[in-house]
Amino acid sequence: MMSDFFANLSLGFSVALSAAGLGWCFIGVALGTFVGVLPGIGALAAIALLLPLTFGLEPTYALIMLAGIYYGSNYGGGIASILLNLPGTPTSAVTCIDGYPMARNGRAGVALFTTATASFFGSAIGMIIMAIFSPMLAAAALRFSAPEYFSLMVLGLVAAAMLGSGSPFRALAMIFFGLILGLVGRDLTSGLLRFTYGVDELYEGLPLVAIALGIFGLPEIIRNAGHLQRSRIRSKDITFASMIPTRDEVKRAVPAAIRGTGLGAFFGALPGTGGLLASFMSYALEKKVSKHPERFGKGAIEGVAGPEAANNSAVQTAFIPTLTLGIPGDVIMAIMMGAMIIHGIQPGAQVLTSHPDLFWGLTASFLVGNLMLLILNIPLIGMWVRILSIPYSVLYPFIIAFICIGVYSVNGSVVDLGVLLFFGLLGCVMQYLKFEPAPLVLGLILGPMLEQNLRRGLQLYRGDYTEFLTRPISATFLLISLFIIVWSFWGAMKTRRMRRQMRAAEEQAAE
Amino acid sequence: MTKWKMNLSRRMAMGLMGATMLTGSLAAPAFAQDDFPSETITFVCAFPAGSGADVLVRYLAEAVSETSGATVIVENKAGAAGNIAAEFTARADPDGYTVYVHAGSSTAMNYHLWNNPPIDPRTDLRGVAAINRQPFYILVPADSPHQTIEDLNAFLLEAGEDATYSTTATSGRVLGAAYVQALGVNPVEVQYATGPDALVDLMSGAVDFGVADPVFAMVHAEDGTMRVLATGAGERMGIAPDIPTLVESGLDVAQIGWWAAWVPAETPDDVVMKLNEMFQAALEDEETTAFLNSMGGDVWVASPEEVDAMMVESVDEAEELVEIADLPKN
Repeated sequence: MMSDFFANLSLGFSVALSAAGLGWCFIGVALGTFVGVLPGIGALAAIALLLPLTFGLEPTYALIMLAGIYYGSNYGGGIASILLNLPGTPTSAVTCIDGYPMARNGRAGVALFTTATASFFGSAIGMIIMAIFSPMLAAAALRFSAPEYFSLMVLGLVAAAMLGSGSPFRALAMIFFGLILGLVGRDLTSGLLRFTYGVDELYEGLPLVAIALGIFGLPEIIRNAGHLQRSRIRSKDITFASMIPTRDEVKRAVPAAIRGTGLGAFFGALPGTGGLLASFMSYALEKKVSKHPERFGKGAIEGVAGPEAANNSAVQTAFIPTLTLGIPGDVIMAIMMGAMIIHGIQPGAQVLTSHPDLFWGLTASFLVGNLMLLILNIPLIGMWVRILSIPYSVLYPFIIAFICIGVYSVNGSVVDLGVLLFFGLLGCVMQYLKFEPAPLVLGLILGPMLEQNLRRGLQLYRGDYTEFLTRPISATFLLISLFIIVWSFWGAMKTRRMRRQMRAAEEQAAE
Repeated sequence: MTKWKMNLSRRMAMGLMGATMLTGSLAAPAFAQDDFPSETITFVCAFPAGSGADVLVRYLAEAVSETSGATVIVENKAGAAGNIAAEFTARADPDGYTVYVHAGSSTAMNYHLWNNPPIDPRTDLRGVAAINRQPFYILVPADSPHQTIEDLNAFLLEAGEDATYSTTATSGRVLGAAYVQALGVNPVEVQYATGPDALVDLMSGAVDFGVADPVFAMVHAEDGTMRVLATGAGERMGIAPDIPTLVESGLDVAQIGWWAAWVPAETPDDVVMKLNEMFQAALEDEETTAFLNSMGGDVWVASPEEVDAMMVESVDEAEELVEIADLPKN
């Protein structure tokens, strides 16, 4: 078992450290950092845009590069958050809370250094967890039939709704909306078309890339374009010397990063939650365990180190369900899964045995890529800071044009551009009404799988619903889902009661 | 290294070509047809880049381009089970530069699956050349008690409605339906989107047998996880002479998927003949044969007239098959 593990890892490193492996990894992480730094265009847009360009590549290198964009963007996202208070990626929104105040206190260098090192730590541990647990999960996955997949997806959707950063009711509404959108297209069981209204292009369902880019990309650009603020950061302000933290800062940052990594590894592996939730949870945890919670929001280094470690470790472990079960944890993973399918590799338990070079090469490339990012982000930080001075009036039209090209290139269909436009506008409305897009897209991705597995389970077991409750793995997932629901309602009730008590106390004090 | 494992730069170039194919076809100037092909030929693929079908179309594009010297690119017009690509080709300029490469059997089936089929493949398309014939297969996991198709038949007759089987793709549903109907049994059909989706349920015995596409069947017969009991084709396949047909066990089931190439109906004869020669030259190549065999089928060389005749036959057959499998019309 142990010798297998090292043999696998050495196979992985032989792929990741080959000239092509290193090259594509570097291109991926550099591009990832670039798009991460730029507000408005995230890893999702970049991956969707570059997907067609990877068709001619060996699948392993294509995935190494696309994955590099994903985790690279998390490093880059921290830079814009700290220097401009503009989160380059949704996951780095938390980094703004304490990172930007740190920059205003003249500790920008330290904040950037913390982001890079905490991210590296989180990623490295996440990668090790992935290397250890994936084969175990893949072995278990061979016992997964339709009921297990169905219950796991229920768990993912419940977790996304209940544990998200916003209101659980809004999230639930968005998930159901996503599930309904997932009905569009051909029903696998009967072969009938549903809700396509004569549009043959919708035969395979609504185009995921167009929706994701529309609902995540366009509103972000439109919103940022609304307040065109020119950055006043000069790259020479961020010197190497300014990045060295004090001993006290190190002492506070290290345990935060360790806790963040643990949280991130757990939530990353859970389908439906991912890095965003992990970083919010880590921030809340740091605030709770701190002896000085009042410093949070004013430049507490724990508030940068914890969430950054959390979201990077989540990014790595998010590959576990994608690669071993074929269930994408978030939108980016769904696109990565699409990339695998396009390259003729069906994600699932067989990947480890049928394409060990791909799985272990990808895993090893995470470590290599994160080391590259450490170098890109500490000695070369000045270069990225300069990118922030590109005027948005130049940048945004380009990004929108690239989004349109990217969407069109997937299917060569004009209908997809219509879908992009529609969901872009919808995204703006949703942003205004504070509905989050992530649960919607998750519902759309998991919906068809959820339905297929429910109906397939009923076909296999002659319409017997109890099969979903009596099969042990399936029952466990459903129990955890139930626990999450009860726990979050109990939590909501507790906060409401506390708020009421506080209000009563205030009123008493006022009298 | 076979041709299929092309060197990196070559594959990259293909990928980049794919990405820029739209601009490429627009930029080419129009020439007279006397020296066909003088422009870039576009193979239309009905499935997204990277799908099994796309792999086949891209391989042929590469092979035809290599043997004829013409520039051939692939354009993916995915959607509606091939209707979009078929209609795109039927409405293209009939100059031979837009060639639809797809399964004729599915194109024929589609004509009966839509209430208002966008094209009639018998009159709106003109056959250029055939490519291969590949059936779906009946298989069981390697540890199944059923050693032969007779074992499976006997089991199904006994189990009746308690038996289950997996199907993938429309061709799989149709073959499965025809098989169980010919046998006179009524097991429960469980649909899967792809072969690998069905793999776990086949291996665990959750379904008793599977109707699988040729690639899935060949791959898993070779790695020892599955045992192929019968071919859906009426005759034994050249690539797998040991696998019996269903006809041999007294069942009147003979279905074969066939791939071919088409151009718009109005395309002139000389252009069609030239294209036919280009395809034939590519199919004569040993590596092409080996590749098509690895996709689970036999190479099929045919004249444009034979392709047209096969389409007429397939459209007739498909009507009956759609009825047997009880497939709904959209």
